[in-house]
Amino acid sequence: MNAQSPDRILVVDDELGVREGCRKILSSEGYDVVTAGDGKAGLEQFLERGPFSVLLVDLQMPRMSGLELMREVRARDEDIVCIIITAHATIDSAVEGTRQGAYSFIPKPFTADELLLSIKNGLEKRALTLNAKHLLAERERRLLELASERSKCNTIISCMTDGIVVVNTEKLVVLRNDAAARILPACAREEIPFPLAELQNTDAQEILQLIIDSTGGPMILSREIALGKETYMVNASPVIEPGGETSGAVAVFSDITALKKLETAKSMFVSLVAHEVKSPLAATEGWLNLILSGMLAKNPQEERHMIERSLLRVRTLRSMVNELLNLTAIQTGNFTLKRTPVDVMAVVREVAAAYAERAVEKRITVTVCDADGRGDPAENVLADREALSIVFSNLVENAIKYGREGGRIDVRVGRCGIYATVSVRDDGIGMSAADKDKVFEEFYRARNELTANIPGTGLGLSLVKRLTELHQGTVIVESVQGEGSVFTVSLPLLQS
Amino acid sequence: MSPLAPRVILLDDDADFLALERKIFESGGYEVSSFSDPKAAIAALSESRQTLIVCDLMMTALDSGFSFAKKVKGDPRFRRVPIIIVSAIGSQKGFDFHPRTAEDLAAMNADAFFDKPVQPQALLAKAQELLSSAEEPHS
Repeated sequence: MNAQSPDRILVVDDELGVREGCRKILSSEGYDVVTAGDGKAGLEQFLERGPFSVLLVDLQMPRMSGLELMREVRARDEDIVCIIITAHATIDSAVEGTRQGAYSFIPKPFTADELLLSIKNGLEKRALTLNAKHLLAERERRLLELASERSKCNTIISCMTDGIVVVNTEKLVVLRNDAAARILPACAREEIPFPLAELQNTDAQEILQLIIDSTGGPMILSREIALGKETYMVNASPVIEPGGETSGAVAVFSDITALKKLETAKSMFVSLVAHEVKSPLAATEGWLNLILSGMLAKNPQEERHMIERSLLRVRTLRSMVNELLNLTAIQTGNFTLKRTPVDVMAVVREVAAAYAERAVEKRITVTVCDADGRGDPAENVLADREALSIVFSNLVENAIKYGREGGRIDVRVGRCGIYATVSVRDDGIGMSAADKDKVFEEFYRARNELTANIPGTGLGLSLVKRLTELHQGTVIVESVQGEGSVFTVSLPLLQS
Repeated sequence: MSPLAPRVILLDDDADFLALERKIFESGGYEVSSFSDPKAAIAALSESRQTLIVCDLMMTALDSGFSFAKKVKGDPRFRRVPIIIVSAIGSQKGFDFHPRTAEDLAAMNADAFFDKPVQPQALLAKAQELLSSAEEPHS
């Protein structure tokens, strides 16, 4: 309502004198006055020129009585203040009038002051009513906003991936989100609250209980719980009201399954390394023990053989430690490649030359074939020369180790699209499909009758794979058991 | 005592341990057969010979020594064949297979357990002990 505009008053009376008297008095006080001579005319004025703040009405009028008019008007505007002016100021009509919603009475005849006082009081009452209504509406709007804030909050809580369970001091579960319902089937029930004892998880119940029972300052309790295949870290803490009072406890369930798996994998790896280190050490120690035991008849040739075996195992161990250090350096990002333009063919030829003697011992023919057709040597990849040398050495060494006595190894340098390719083919024992899948895993070695006497660390191919990938390259293996294997390394060609 | 020298069946996927144990047992007057494949080792078992088995624990699988021992002891013909399990992982943390009691040993179907490397004299002494106690209830 506009406070600036004057209050409007509708005066309805069949006595002209009263009507005009009222108009004069009220207009002089700044009110906006409209008059009508009977109930019907009054209703017409109300409908045409409303709204009004006050209805000043006579009770007994032709065509439509004052009470009837009041009913009609109030049905359309409940805030209008109705004041009855009547000569028939009896208790009965007064009661009836107030029952119909009249605010007050002015008995005729009345003075200007009496009229003005009555109007003033009526208007004050009206202002109070309107104000109260306004406040009520405001409050409702606030409540609505609050509810929508709460529902936002609830939406966020229910969308969280961590499970949340809230318990009050009566040990009732009063809130749980969707994730909690997934994690703890007992939480999926419809009816909330339910007793904490029915959560059906001893660990979670226990820590929530401990939090609620604790009288000391704020504390947080954590526990790892296993539920089926998943492991959760449950952190419980008290819910502390702004006043500092503890009103319950909240438990957050975080899925740490992946972390646990990593932890297991790590300890498995450490155990594996320990075993792989211990085997060559134990073999070496065994040989040396035997030599020193004096159990064997003196035989310098035999002793030499045993010392050679020991030496071989120690060398294997040393290369394993080297490979392990390289692998760890790559994994931790501490392996920095010194990349320069490198001629792949030149590196391959060097490696082949370095292994020529080993190949001859096994009567294996190694051929290096330039399938690229470039003719002239040229730097064609951006790589760490040392790393490439390790990659090709491992592949050639494997080809010799697993190759056939008197067989052949073909090293083919070529290109495929934007990649330079190096493939190393042997005609040796090959490997099973199962071995093929795992051959690049750390410490994986195909173990069978044929490989039993072949020394190796099980790290060489892991290193090949890691180093190749550091160069944005790939390594793949094709193999047929009993026929041989082909390892192919692809490295991005240097863009000229 | 059988007129023939007692036989030792060695099973290990590490060529050095096979060679090493062969030398130890040959120096002790045993006839030695060595295998890197459990199936071949089982096939080589014979009822008519006094036999001892020395087998590695971790071969193709982590526990293939155990399953081999179980297979041997599960066969009524070879129930009494003594088995010595040797392993490099016996005392390794995380893979603690090291038996602490006689029940542990029985549970792994073994008669003795050694960490690698084995002291030659200790191995021979244990072999001797197991063979003679295996012989006694028979006669």
